[in-house]
Amino acid sequence: MERGNGFKTMKTKIKIGEKYYQVDVSEINRDFLKVRVDDKDFFFKENEFQELIPVDEKELASGSEGWKTEAVLWDSRAGKEIKSPLTGTISGIDIKKGDKVKPGQKLMTLIAMKMENEIVAETAGVVKEIKAEAGKLVNSGDILVKLE
Amino acid sequence: MNIKHFEKLESTSSTAKEMAEQGVEPWTVIWADEQNAGHGKEGRDWHSSKGGLYFSVILPKSNIDDLQTITILAAFITAKVIKNNFSLEPFIKLPNDIWVNQKKVCGILTENVIGSDIKLSVIGIGLNTNIEKFSPQLENAATSIKIETGQEADNEKILKQIVEGLKEQLKTISQ
Repeated sequence: MERGNGFKTMKTKIKIGEKYYQVDVSEINRDFLKVRVDDKDFFFKENEFQELIPVDEKELASGSEGWKTEAVLWDSRAGKEIKSPLTGTISGIDIKKGDKVKPGQKLMTLIAMKMENEIVAETAGVVKEIKAEAGKLVNSGDILVKLE
Repeated sequence: MNIKHFEKLESTSSTAKEMAEQGVEPWTVIWADEQNAGHGKEGRDWHSSKGGLYFSVILPKSNIDDLQTITILAAFITAKVIKNNFSLEPFIKLPNDIWVNQKKVCGILTENVIGSDIKLSVIGIGLNTNIEKFSPQLENAATSIKIETGQEADNEKILKQIVEGLKEQLKTISQ
């Protein structure tokens, strides 16, 4: 169990049949758990009997309880999904898929309101996917890079 | 005012960013008489020969929305300083250039480093004060206070007026 960025997390691999799955369990807050199996996220909450029950799709879509925002923040703080802080244009990308990045390493430059913004990695990792493209517009909150 | 004055730097903003990473306190001013690699937006060269005023200010940590207003505020403050000291009529080409008589006299660039929060912010200002002549490639696009008025500007005085103005206007974003 790790306690990075103020959240409790546990990472493990499980094997079902011939396939291995990466499973990351994160306690988002006292009431919510996020379980990531490879790239897919599942959320659980405690009911009145203190049993864990899955959060259904409707609740997930509404995000009305505020936990959804916390889940997004968790991803951002953990640094696995780097999101655009502003709407703007990507002027340059300094990494490629498969690169190992260190905390603080520059990943790309975002021009917004004539400001130049160096987007840097929060944690170490390997570049799994680059969603942004040089010269293209991104919206605030868009995923720019996925690390693993 | 904490001013670090250099004869020559590659870029005042690059030095300011390095210093901010090392923990140098906000509002420290990095001032150079010349820059070898002064730059504007997207790495475009900023002519930085001796005589001009080139400086960068390490800004206090702020939220991203507030930072968007900084360049515009800096342009207004710098234009006001030009007007008050030299009786010129500067025109602000929003958000980050100042023109006099249809030629560029000043450029401003804010640079941020962002992870899961804003790590540091630096604002760089290049003001053509005492440049007597530009190269043929630039003379139709750029001008200076000296060319426009024949007056010699006191670079340190102008720098202090701009930074004081910035501090006053940006109090709301200070930590």
